[in-house]
Amino acid sequence: MKRLLLLPLVLAAMALRADDEPSAWMRDKVEVAAAADRPVTVDILVQGAEQLEVDDLVAALHQPQKRAVGPFSFWIGTIGPHRVAVSLTGEGLINCTAATIAGIEEFAPKLIVNQGTSGAQVRYLGLHDIIVGRRALDYGNFTSLPRGPGEGSAPLTWQPVPQRLRDPATGKWTAFPEGFAGDPIALAVAMRTRNPMGRVFAGVIGSAHEVNLELDRVGWSHRTFGMDVEEMESGHVAAIAHAFGVRCIAFRVVSDAPYEHVPFFPLAARATALFTVNFLENLPPMR
Amino acid sequence: MIRRFLAAAAFLFLIPAGLHSAGVDVLLVGADDEELKPVLAQMSGAAEQRIVSWTFWSGTLAGHPVVVLRAEGDPLNAVAGTTLGLRHFSPRLVVVFGSARAHDPALAPGDLVVAREFAAFDGMISRVTPEDGGSDPTKWIALPHLLMEPGEKPVPQMRFPADNTALAVASRLHPARGRTAAGVMGSAGQVNREADRIARLRALWGTSTEDAESAHVAGCARLLGVPVAGWCVVDGTAGEAGALVVPFLKEWK
Repeated sequence: MKRLLLLPLVLAAMALRADDEPSAWMRDKVEVAAAADRPVTVDILVQGAEQLEVDDLVAALHQPQKRAVGPFSFWIGTIGPHRVAVSLTGEGLINCTAATIAGIEEFAPKLIVNQGTSGAQVRYLGLHDIIVGRRALDYGNFTSLPRGPGEGSAPLTWQPVPQRLRDPATGKWTAFPEGFAGDPIALAVAMRTRNPMGRVFAGVIGSAHEVNLELDRVGWSHRTFGMDVEEMESGHVAAIAHAFGVRCIAFRVVSDAPYEHVPFFPLAARATALFTVNFLENLPPMR
Repeated sequence: MIRRFLAAAAFLFLIPAGLHSAGVDVLLVGADDEELKPVLAQMSGAAEQRIVSWTFWSGTLAGHPVVVLRAEGDPLNAVAGTTLGLRHFSPRLVVVFGSARAHDPALAPGDLVVAREFAAFDGMISRVTPEDGGSDPTKWIALPHLLMEPGEKPVPQMRFPADNTALAVASRLHPARGRTAAGVMGSAGQVNREADRIARLRALWGTSTEDAESAHVAGCARLLGVPVAGWCVVDGTAGEAGALVVPFLKEWK
């Protein structure tokens, strides 16, 4: 998810929610699984960080059942030929890392689709355009050079530190400066999938717990990492999927575009959710 | 209190059936082999186990069944390892320890900071600034973490509190050099050496120190409903913080 540009407003809205439960239509539609320990496997784990990013996906599930795993909610059903678990991960690294591990261990998916909203980092993208992740990376780690008091801060000189993972088979400590490639089969299908609200491009998705609105730093992120959009989860989810050996792809709709002075538009989440439903219907059965 | 109960109840559902038999007392989290060396050296019956990319050692320390996690020194690996540690070993307490850099100018090398709270200070929002307007982190504002709670509730949190009982025990620890103080342990995948940025981070988040994993471990523990404690030695040498684990466990019940 991206992005609480008007954070106080969002926090106030959260506080004002009457019961903090899913939408009324969802309560009516979804059966809460009675036997929480009954083993369930799915073909695909579809993730969104916010309720708006999963509502249309849950609505598209055939015969959905809800299952709680710790603080995380999953809705299990079918879309097209696939058995799917829709996961509300919550925002940012801590939530999405824990939710992804819970989702993998509980449901053994063959593919993870991480989808949601993002901020454009390039001029060619507009509201409702979707980036399909050719790769996804964490861009938030860095080392800075010493500067004394009164000498300011120079973020465009910060040295990025790539995500590292230990190879599960060999234990070798390996850096991933380019991040993690999207699953090629899923990428190809996604590029043939219709976005009902905008265009579709393959690109690079960057993740950090940041909302960058300084155009000089936005430009630096694009030049340094090749990022087309920034958000808060997919690079982390891709790293976990890589470690567990699970295929992964990320879709990000542009919900704000600082070059175009487009402020955060949360309902853009619907575009990527509907695109994901189209993608799941296009994707051949998993083997 | 109700929220704590709900989180604890939720954690029971988080434990995957069949992954473990009985829970351990403590999950001990250190960044790397050097930090863990004094802990593993005193552990009896230590057995190494890798779960996917993350390495654990199970055994006994000071009479407590414990599991040690090598967190690998960055937020993602720390949260992933902690999540697996909580799911597979069901500890009653998480303890994170290591070396850190000072944000509080009153701290000196060798001082021991015991966590009263933790702050994952990587969250930021910058101001709308046109091209050629530069980038100025001293004007960025803090973006809190929205930890999920059962029932699809994201709860904004600037800091994660340490367990009071463990904090009381840890506050009686004596470092090899320096003094002991309670404070806010901050973490991010960052090495900040710019004095003005460090001052800004301290003003926004109240941080006493920075390292690469402690607050993310604490945030994960809070997310999954398990109490957490921690300490760090300012500019500590390898194993200096780890040497305090056994004295802590001898006093903690």
